[in-house]
Amino acid sequence: MNTYLTQVWAILRKDLVLEIRSRERIGAMCAFAVLTGVLFNFSIDTTTVRPNEVATGLIWMTLIFGGLLGVGRTFHLESQDGALQGILMSPAPKDAIFLGKLIANFVLLYVVSLLVLGVFGLFFGIDLDRNLGWVVFVLGIGSLGFVAVGTLFAAVAAGTHLRETLLPVLVFPLMVPMVIYGVGAMTPLVSGRPFTEVEGNVRMLGAFALAAVAAGAVLFRYVVED
Amino acid sequence: MSPGRLVLEAKGLHRDYGSVVAVDALDLSMSEGEFLTIVGPNGAGKSTLLSMLSGAMRPTTGSVSVCGEELDFARHEWRHRIGMLSHKGFLYDRMTVEENLNFYGKLFGIADLKDRIASRLRRVGLSERARSEVRKLSHGMRQRASLARALLHDPDLVLLDEPYSGLDPAAALVLRDVLEELKDGRRTVVMVTHNLREGLEMATRIAIQVGGRFEWEGSLKGARWEDFESHYHCVVEGRV
Repeated sequence: MNTYLTQVWAILRKDLVLEIRSRERIGAMCAFAVLTGVLFNFSIDTTTVRPNEVATGLIWMTLIFGGLLGVGRTFHLESQDGALQGILMSPAPKDAIFLGKLIANFVLLYVVSLLVLGVFGLFFGIDLDRNLGWVVFVLGIGSLGFVAVGTLFAAVAAGTHLRETLLPVLVFPLMVPMVIYGVGAMTPLVSGRPFTEVEGNVRMLGAFALAAVAAGAVLFRYVVED
Repeated sequence: MSPGRLVLEAKGLHRDYGSVVAVDALDLSMSEGEFLTIVGPNGAGKSTLLSMLSGAMRPTTGSVSVCGEELDFARHEWRHRIGMLSHKGFLYDRMTVEENLNFYGKLFGIADLKDRIASRLRRVGLSERARSEVRKLSHGMRQRASLARALLHDPDLVLLDEPYSGLDPAAALVLRDVLEELKDGRRTVVMVTHNLREGLEMATRIAIQVGGRFEWEGSLKGARWEDFESHYHCVVEGRV
């Protein structure tokens, strides 16, 4: 078990160290999040729609599009000097490799999701005072589900000629439950409704995230092995 | 000299890509301490063969065993026995040499990692560049760093895929000295190369691979490389 955790930690640490040094993915994701927030701010007439009703949907869509920018390039790190082959030839179990990359992607996306929340909170004036903790929690679960699906399919796309172009086609259909339950949970929360009202949606979102993590851990080896 | 224990055994190894046969029902066995050089023209299936021996690629049919253990993709223990140096280094440009080795060492579960890294870097002559980012190294230094990575876990079987590719003569000489040390009688080495001279000098056995098969295999100890070169061309052109 200790060796397994060491292997997960080694992958996670390596991905984060490379990201901190290059700032390739986090920079693109954060810029995308801020610019999208600014554009949505100008494109929506807040005198005809209530900001709270549209903001959460836009937050989730921004997270998905922005997330793809970063998660889609997770295997780009490994492709430059054949490093993925080096990792796959090590005795590290494939699910340990998947989990390491998943957690690294989660850390990046969670940072971006908090930024997105701040940007939309600012531009759309959504009320985060009463349920900020729960909103952040829901975003965390949604981010976990997204990176689980995204990391697995990024590995699939990395093995094709289309690479990042293929990724949205593979990932978006699977994001439907996340968007439905994520928006369903967050809209009442930013309107100041109590958590008990959205508990069902949060449970479904959590179940989706756990199922995605488990499926990704099991299926990853079939994706990366020749 | 009595033969050492059997380290590598491939039986009926076959790999095709649709109608293209890369490796054609190839058998190979190697004992401890042997150094096999595989030469052959482009497209002969040398790198595919090496990928299958390393466990990076599944054969279409056939099997590979290392130290008596068949390469089973559902298990991981046998990967401790194999080290591979490819023309790709498997290194991360933005990490230092030491960080790269530390990363791979953790994946291999090496206990005395710090000492092991220091020892491998000494062996390949890179101790003073341990804290340099890989992207700041010359091609020759990168190749030596890759060799340190490949040997970090002390593998029984070392696979070298075109280790001299892109090296200038001075860097090739340094690498050659390091590879020479692999002939310590304890390790089994398979090297794929286009460099006939280096291949001949290093090997205890040589195989000429053409069209996915070993068209010629044997020992040429003491042979002049010019003679081997003409023999090679005869084999490749089908005159033998």
